[in-house]
Amino acid sequence: MPRLDRLPQINRSTILNLPVQVNDTAPFTPLPRPLAACRVAIVTTAGLHRRGDRPFGPGDQTYRAIPADTPAAEIVQSHTSLGFDRVPIMRDLNVSFPMDRLRELVTRGELGGLAPSHYSFMGAQRDVARIEAETGPEAGRRLRAEGVDVALVTPT
Amino acid sequence: MLARALEAAGIATTSISMVREHTEKVKPPRALFVPFPFGHALGRADDPALQHRVLRAALDLLGEPEGPVLRDFPDDAEPGTQPAAPVQASAVAPAAAVPDDVPAEAARMRGYHDQWLARSGGRTAFGLTGIPATRFRGAIRFLEGFAAGEDADMPERPADVPLPGFVRWCADDLKALYFEGHLAMKPAAAGDEVARWFWGETAAGQLLRRVRDRLDGSDDPQWKAAAFGVAR
Repeated sequence: MPRLDRLPQINRSTILNLPVQVNDTAPFTPLPRPLAACRVAIVTTAGLHRRGDRPFGPGDQTYRAIPADTPAAEIVQSHTSLGFDRVPIMRDLNVSFPMDRLRELVTRGELGGLAPSHYSFMGAQRDVARIEAETGPEAGRRLRAEGVDVALVTPT
Repeated sequence: MLARALEAAGIATTSISMVREHTEKVKPPRALFVPFPFGHALGRADDPALQHRVLRAALDLLGEPEGPVLRDFPDDAEPGTQPAAPVQASAVAPAAAVPDDVPAEAARMRGYHDQWLARSGGRTAFGLTGIPATRFRGAIRFLEGFAAGEDADMPERPADVPLPGFVRWCADDLKALYFEGHLAMKPAAAGDEVARWFWGETAAGQLLRRVRDRLDGSDDPQWKAAAFGVAR
């Protein structure tokens, strides 16, 4: 889904009424080397962070770094919107934050390696001006400084 | 939008999209639209094969010579057992005889939640308030007082977290205790089944309906927003 035509009207309206940027083109960074040699990070909008980090609050446009060696038991989600089913991520973090799957791809030689840190933002935001102008580019610079070639961007 | 910012900083991105209509407008550099319910971005929990197929399809987009590119994940029918939208409190009528002693019920749920922790290797969604499960009775008393219209507060609330925000964290932790406890009892239960049980059959579900009512009765938009996150 959610194919919107399968959603109840009220959910469909809520989603379609969210303010969304309209762009004609997209920035484009070509893959600098084959994937099997690339360093990959996850950047998620699932509102994840380390246990003990400040939870995301309403309208929070900051981000949290999650060191790649953080055990799954130390990661919590403060994006708790009732708009999505939380049972899947309770069972399996990989459904939004596929750390185990990426490690498997590295082991198989399909990816070059994992970034030292992944990054997490809060999703379902109405105002994203600060993410666009400040915190998003800042996370991008940190990824670059950490030698990252590719970011997999995942929602919840 | 986030992918665009990262891409502009020199990172090649590939995104998983849940709402095709939005992605068509925002135009991230590369996006894979997946036909799964919200909460199932990579398909299904504990299904590494499906998760790998989704990942592979997303990573394949990195080979495209130019963008923006938006492709559909082909397996439209995959996790078809879950309703398109999560089951909400308003869709569940409370059972004829719902218990009303939340602290006693929560103490029982904590036993099941301990089983969950033993099985999950300590992974839990519980913990936003920082109040441990062993002392969570205080948070339940706080929610009960709040729902009853009292001038309730907790010393654990950080000074810069507004009251409705802390109420929401307490409600989220209570839900996590119950949802994960229920999953320890019924490991195969899907999200809709757990939600129907919580809102229909538990004292905690009825308490959170009352908490929602008090938040929603306020004119303050912060309170109303918290209400929308506690129960709909």
